[in-house]
Amino acid sequence: MKFYREILFVLLLTVFTEVQAGIDVFACEPEWAALVKELGGDRLNVYSATTSMQDSHHIQARPSLIAKARRADLLVCSGAELESGWLPLLLRKSGNASIQPNQPGYFMAADYIEKRDVPEKLDRSMGDVHAEGNPHIHTSPENILLVADALYERLAEIDVENRADYLARYQSFEKLWKQSLEQWKAKAAVLSGVNIVTHHTYWTYLNEWAGMHVLATLEPVAGVSPSSSYLAKVKKQLSQQKPKMILHVSYVSDRPSQWLAEQTGSPVVALPATVDFQGGQTLSQWFDDVIQRLLAVI
Amino acid sequence: MIDGGSMSDGLDISILAPAFLAGVIVLMTHIPLGREVLKRGIIFIDLAIAQIAGLGVIIAFQFGWDMHGVEAQVAAVTSALLGAWLLHVIEKKAGIHLEALIGVSFVLAATASLLLLANNPHGGEHIKELLVGQILWVDWSQVLYAAIVSLIVVITWFKYKNKIGNIGFYILFAVSITSSVQLIGVYLVFTSLIVPALAASRYSEKPALMLAFIVGVSGYFSGLIVSAFFDLPSGAVIVWCLAISALLVPVLLSNLFIASAKES
Repeated sequence: MKFYREILFVLLLTVFTEVQAGIDVFACEPEWAALVKELGGDRLNVYSATTSMQDSHHIQARPSLIAKARRADLLVCSGAELESGWLPLLLRKSGNASIQPNQPGYFMAADYIEKRDVPEKLDRSMGDVHAEGNPHIHTSPENILLVADALYERLAEIDVENRADYLARYQSFEKLWKQSLEQWKAKAAVLSGVNIVTHHTYWTYLNEWAGMHVLATLEPVAGVSPSSSYLAKVKKQLSQQKPKMILHVSYVSDRPSQWLAEQTGSPVVALPATVDFQGGQTLSQWFDDVIQRLLAVI
Repeated sequence: MIDGGSMSDGLDISILAPAFLAGVIVLMTHIPLGREVLKRGIIFIDLAIAQIAGLGVIIAFQFGWDMHGVEAQVAAVTSALLGAWLLHVIEKKAGIHLEALIGVSFVLAATASLLLLANNPHGGEHIKELLVGQILWVDWSQVLYAAIVSLIVVITWFKYKNKIGNIGFYILFAVSITSSVQLIGVYLVFTSLIVPALAASRYSEKPALMLAFIVGVSGYFSGLIVSAFFDLPSGAVIVWCLAISALLVPVLLSNLFIASAKES
């Protein structure tokens, strides 16, 4: 009896391991899907829960989302509360022990960089807005490198056998990225000190990297529509100091930015929020595009 | 391999079963209540009640309550009950303008939440997400809680319908809407309330309840299957499937129900 059971167990195990070929990665945003793909290649089955045209604060529950989370060996998200509206629910619903917080399969990119816009003190008047700082960390190419370093180590921890391979892939990614970084820096030199206005505090890390100076944001606090007195204040401020451009994130409505463009005569620059992973774009192609669009109005 | 989510993936009974059961539990109360709502001509009352419940939670949040679990529930139910009492008073006084006044109270409650949250965007977002459920996120403990609430409401309704009076209806309505909105969201609550009841509106009580229940169950069932196959947001797909089954099921089952139609 016991013998049969052992045979059955071995059989089941073989079936199981066959189905499990490769490491399943569940990425909350396309930028992390693209990055993990660079570091793991075909060894990984990468799924991105959102697209570049979606606001990853909000997400509609689809059956496949839960199925993917259930099977994932590694979860890669921005963190810093960006996904706090749905990720805890999804994790609970997945019942997948290996991707719960504090497990090796739980990777939050924002844990590995120095965050900006962290409120000095937390009180009720701020709500729980950005208690952990600005979560759109992928908009700086320097951050990508920091996250890549931590992420390849995590891959190697989860899939120990292929450690050497992940290291090799990381090293070649690092080399290429650093080369691109030099080129981007050279190109972006003209952006340094340029005055801009943003709609939402989406591009904080990019602005800092490029040395652009944010005169004002159209939203007084992230996610809040401006009141008329706030808009009047912004308008008055900008009449004294005209911005070179108005930065706009592709996934939100451009009406506020267009309104300001009419008021100030400054051009609106619509930047793609992130890499089009589903369309096969790579991180460096996306960043090329971002730089191109910024330079076009200089 | 770049993977955008494949067909068969979501077709997993352990993912779909809690959602389906949540739907059946909601239908249990919403079909009889929906018939009453149609009879009284107060179609948008569920939106108003749900919005008032949400407003209550936001007010409690502004007072510094920690909005998790029991406290949020107490705040939601209390304010829904207050809203129900208000609508009950309005119904007595309003006459033909009742529906209009319900609409106005919906808009006022919704915009009051916006004003209260003006400086507190993400805090508000979390609360909104807490209040507007998505059917796929439902887990077994929520199903159990909703089943208990539903059973109490249904038994009270069918046993004491004639004794609890007007205010009794509003109380039962407020309690079950507050629970179901958190479970499956506003769109599905509205559809579950109105569409099956509408599909069976020309029949007398018993066959109507049965037909409405068949319409509702087949809507939820087909909606979940379609959403799994095409990887679409489940709530929105179920709304459409409920509407389609409200059109098809009465036709397909017309022979069964023809006799009772003559009765009424």
